[in-house]
Amino acid sequence: MARHAPARNGWVVWLTFAIGLLLSVSPLPQFMEIFRPLWLALLLAFWALALPHKVGMVTAWMLGLAEDVLYGTLLGQNALILTLITFLVLSLQQRLRMFPMWQQCLVLLVIFGLAQLVQLWLSALTGNRQPTLALVLPALVSALLWPWVSYGLRGLRLRLKIN
Amino acid sequence: MLVVLSVAIMVVDARFTLLKPVRSQMSLVLMQSYWIADLPERLYQGVASQFGSRTELAAENEKLKTENLLLQGRLQKLAALTEQNVRLRELLNSSALVNEKVEVAELIGMDPNPFTHRIIINKGERDGVVLGQPVLDARGLMGQVVELMPYTSRVLLLTDTTHSIPVQVNRNGLRAIASGTGNPERLELRHVADTADIKEGDLLVSSGLGQRFPAGYPVATVKEVIHDSGQPFAIVRAVPTAALNRSRYLLLVFSDGRSPEERAADAAQQQESLDRQAADPAAVPSATVPGAAPAATPNKAVVPATVPKPAGHSASSTPANANANSAPAPATAAPAATTPAKPATSKPSAKPAAKPAATRPATPAATPAAPREREE
Repeated sequence: MARHAPARNGWVVWLTFAIGLLLSVSPLPQFMEIFRPLWLALLLAFWALALPHKVGMVTAWMLGLAEDVLYGTLLGQNALILTLITFLVLSLQQRLRMFPMWQQCLVLLVIFGLAQLVQLWLSALTGNRQPTLALVLPALVSALLWPWVSYGLRGLRLRLKIN
Repeated sequence: MLVVLSVAIMVVDARFTLLKPVRSQMSLVLMQSYWIADLPERLYQGVASQFGSRTELAAENEKLKTENLLLQGRLQKLAALTEQNVRLRELLNSSALVNEKVEVAELIGMDPNPFTHRIIINKGERDGVVLGQPVLDARGLMGQVVELMPYTSRVLLLTDTTHSIPVQVNRNGLRAIASGTGNPERLELRHVADTADIKEGDLLVSSGLGQRFPAGYPVATVKEVIHDSGQPFAIVRAVPTAALNRSRYLLLVFSDGRSPEERAADAAQQQESLDRQAADPAAVPSATVPGAAPAATPNKAVVPATVPKPAGHSASSTPANANANSAPAPATAAPAATTPAKPATSKPSAKPAAKPAATRPATPAATPAAPREREE
């Protein structure tokens, strides 16, 4: 990672986030709604690993606010969760980058699972508790999607020399 | 630090209205993403309608024509029934039914959270949508507006677990509360006595008791009634008549913004002025303008309130003035009938006026005129 090279193509990062926001509200068939991956969390995890000097917790927080407005939840709820995810990823960053892909998946599964549990607590506090633990499913789906997202974005990053 | 900040604004957002403008500004930009996410569907429909074959269109046209004919037929009957209903209500001395206006809105997105039933429609604050406004589709009630954004709003559907609606059985008027279950095809009636007269196939209509939904719209049909001797109440399951997860075009209902008390106050005031006229019919020409000055002051104070109110009411006040020339009797009644929403000025006069209302049959000639003014 050429940290001294001038920053360029930074807009691609934001473009991926915009697409992530779109994906997180795109209509899905009823039975698949439960499995909707945490697109923003995946993207944030990747960019926080790849460009830690650029994408950090403040980015995560602002994206979370955007997601709150889209979902109509309390302002700050998703912001808190995405910040938490980014914090965990950043603190594990040095190790995560050395891990093979399947191990990365496992670690991310734990992180996303934790985040979803916090989500459950928060929504219970605000009075609309989801009745099941099915909300851990998105964490599982996201962890399974991680290799594809990771390889795809890495290819994009190398091709456009984003840093 | 960001965590603290998130928690802080969560609390602020939950307890105060401070962040509403921020949210609405952000939504102005972000809500476009629902529109974009909806684009493929829209494009597909556009293409499909472009390439719809001629025979298909002809068949559809034919079908719509017959449907139109049927509905027209039913409408004729409805006009007569409405008229009859108004007359009967006058006999019963109850406040008149108010005609509701509707506006068509289009669904542009579903809530991504699978555990809540909320949809997003393309009409918002700038289109005059208000919080709590009822939403219908062609077949029945769908839900109510829970969040306003400048050009979009969020609608909570009947079947959300946090939603309940007061209903009554159309057949016999039995009242109940229908709660959402989180299943888009299922409502449950809470606390229905085991012996209550309710059975499979009964139509449930909104009773209007919650003062949120207008009365008389179909809500659901009863699907099964289970009498379990181990349970304190009968278990009643119903299917919403509206196509909650299929309708694309919805109707927003604009009823008049008055609460029942205000409506009663207005009706009472109107009644009062009628009674006053009936009391001294001899002094009609003079009494209506200056003579009754001390008693009529509440009226006069309220009449200017109609001015800021747009089109509908000011339009209806002109024919009322025209009436005043030909028949002096309803003259004061008409302006009173057109005082719509302003409660503060009219309330003090309402309480004493409620009793004279009992003397209503004494003025049979004048009564039918007044409520009808409002119907128009």
